[in-house]
Amino acid sequence: MQLSTQDLDGGVTRVELDGRMDIAGAAAVDLKMNLIAGSAKKLLIDLQKVAFLGSMGLRSIVLPARAVMSRGGKVVLFAPNEMVEGVLKASGIDSLLPIHHDLAAAMAALQ
Amino acid sequence: MPAEDTAKPAPRLTLKGQLDDMALLWPWVEDVVAQYEIPANVAFDIHLCLEEAISNVIRHGYGGEPGHALTVDFASRDAHHVVFTIEDQAPPFDPLTASLIEDQPAASPEDYLRPGGRGILLMRKFAGTLAYERLAGGNRLTIGFVLPG
Repeated sequence: MQLSTQDLDGGVTRVELDGRMDIAGAAAVDLKMNLIAGSAKKLLIDLQKVAFLGSMGLRSIVLPARAVMSRGGKVVLFAPNEMVEGVLKASGIDSLLPIHHDLAAAMAALQ
Repeated sequence: MPAEDTAKPAPRLTLKGQLDDMALLWPWVEDVVAQYEIPANVAFDIHLCLEEAISNVIRHGYGGEPGHALTVDFASRDAHHVVFTIEDQAPPFDPLTASLIEDQPAASPEDYLRPGGRGILLMRKFAGTLAYERLAGGNRLTIGFVLPG
């Protein structure tokens, strides 16, 4: 599981997750995700390269997202594949964190 | 990495009841998926349900204590149905009737953070069939999936 970050226009932090968000993958990114969530105000979590998402992976997304939102920040999820999106929707996460497949729309939602 | 093409997947995976052992699950499932030509979307559901069911046993049934065995058996019932059977030696726990996961209309963040909460609900949504049996000294959970075609 890989994690990289990129600063985009408008104070948006893009976090790209790459790999399987299973138990091991979730554990591998937890610390970095929490560090990022400690400072980011507008967070775009890029799920394009996430091949798998389990409940521990969900937790690794929701906890940092909630930390950002509790400070008045915004978080969006970007471009999950169909199966990952199925997990996000089945768990109801999409009611908490909007899912966007268009980058411009995702950026707009963060402003 | 998978073994040579001629290697048949082990029909049974034995785990020691600790979360580190979960690393063995993925390659085992990948072998089964390749051997039986299970489509990617069903393979995804299989990973999701097995990870959930097994981690639940390890974390809650065994309380994170090592030294308890847990087995996963694979069976292909016919061209369209595959079944995974998980047996443990944990105290009785039926995830299908656990009151904490009754269908809740709205998700709250706490639901994702509470062990055995939404994870089990996910398993119920992504499995084709689920059956629980209490064994003399443990539990048996049977998870079935329907193959398209």
